[in-house]
Amino acid sequence: MIIELKNVSFKYEKGAEPVFTDLDLKVEEGTCLAVTGDNGSGKTTLFRIINGLSFPDKGEYLYKGTVINEAYLKDNACSKRFHKEIGYLFQNPDTMLFNSSVYDEVAFGPRQMGLRDEEVEERVRDCLKLFEIEDLADKVPYHLSGGQKKWVALASVIALNPEVLVLDEPFAGLDSKKEAWLVDFLRELKAAGKTLIIATHKEEIIKDLADGTFMLG
Amino acid sequence: MIPEWMKKTEDYVPPADGGAFYYRTLKSLGGIMSRLRLESGREGRFSLPAGVRLLLMIALIILVSVTQNNLVIMAVGAAVLVRLAMMSAEDISAVVKAVLVAVIMAVVIFAPAVIMDPARLWNSLRVVAKILISVTLVGIFNRTTQWNHLTAVLRKAHIPGTVIFIIDITFRYIVLLGNLMQDLLTAVSLRSIGRNDKKYNSVGGVMGVTFLRGTEMNKEMYEAMQCRGFTDDYEGL
Repeated sequence: MIIELKNVSFKYEKGAEPVFTDLDLKVEEGTCLAVTGDNGSGKTTLFRIINGLSFPDKGEYLYKGTVINEAYLKDNACSKRFHKEIGYLFQNPDTMLFNSSVYDEVAFGPRQMGLRDEEVEERVRDCLKLFEIEDLADKVPYHLSGGQKKWVALASVIALNPEVLVLDEPFAGLDSKKEAWLVDFLRELKAAGKTLIIATHKEEIIKDLADGTFMLG
Repeated sequence: MIPEWMKKTEDYVPPADGGAFYYRTLKSLGGIMSRLRLESGREGRFSLPAGVRLLLMIALIILVSVTQNNLVIMAVGAAVLVRLAMMSAEDISAVVKAVLVAVIMAVVIFAPAVIMDPARLWNSLRVVAKILISVTLVGIFNRTTQWNHLTAVLRKAHIPGTVIFIIDITFRYIVLLGNLMQDLLTAVSLRSIGRNDKKYNSVGGVMGVTFLRGTEMNKEMYEAMQCRGFTDDYEGL
């Protein structure tokens, strides 16, 4: 089991209504889990816990058998390795892009990994080519359209080559051609042994891609 | 379709890197901004009008700031403490928290000067006391004044509607910029998986995007208000 949540309860503030209580979740390596639920049911909160951005009030979260909590992530090396292995695409890609060019945005992660310059270049070029955004390489991410921003954000996560991909509504706002392309791409990643956790409402995609569904709320 | 390196599982050992200080500092700044929700104060049945209280507060702050007489500082301090004691526990706690932050910052700033020259102790203490009283006065005013009453006072003082609009919107929505900054810094930290030799670039990027988004949000909101009949004649909310 690559990801396991045991009896997890979470609330944002003391005295507030819990977002969820006694939640159990298991995700096997190399599978795709679709997370569904109404707006406000806690999908993004669940994703934040999986990414070590929020911590359960009760219960525990295990990644590859290791309990992920504040103490564990305080260790710089553990935290960096953990974030390298789990890639997270935010629901709003606007808040993921902070570099001055698309190239730098995609290269941000690989440049830190201690790779040789040619390897970084190869990774970035591969990602830009894969997402067909080579012509945007020198553009400022802030000025791109919503769809282009989503592609750049996804490319910058993929460039880290994570083992687990947590994607918050990746199909929202995509036209049918891009949606079909993304499904094929994710299917290939799954075939390569990557674990996918995807929040989506689209039933045909769930049927096509997911090995299981987890419903919140 | 996918390149070979994407199919491999990497046994990754992160290179050592220091200097998470920038991100942490900015994140805490974003955290403070995102908690700056404008809370409308509660006015009692026998409260003085907001305009009178505003003038009184400004006058007392000026008096405390310019005076060199310790007796005046102590007298104003005592009056402020009495007023504070008449408030609810929740309000007192909110005011005291803000005052503590200001006083601690002042002490940290003055400490080196006092250590190097102990003769400056009394002067430094006087400045800290002035800061304590001024911040308490602002805190009390904030907790006891409804925001719409304050904007009404500004309107009566013939301050242009656009200025009141900018003040109002800045205070109401600074929380959104705080949230945006926090999200951006979360994105930075999630992808900061090794050694970043260009930390200033990332920090600059976050600040730049926050500024651009803030400007854009302001424009979008103004246009949305115009679409609903706003004519630049802002009376306050």
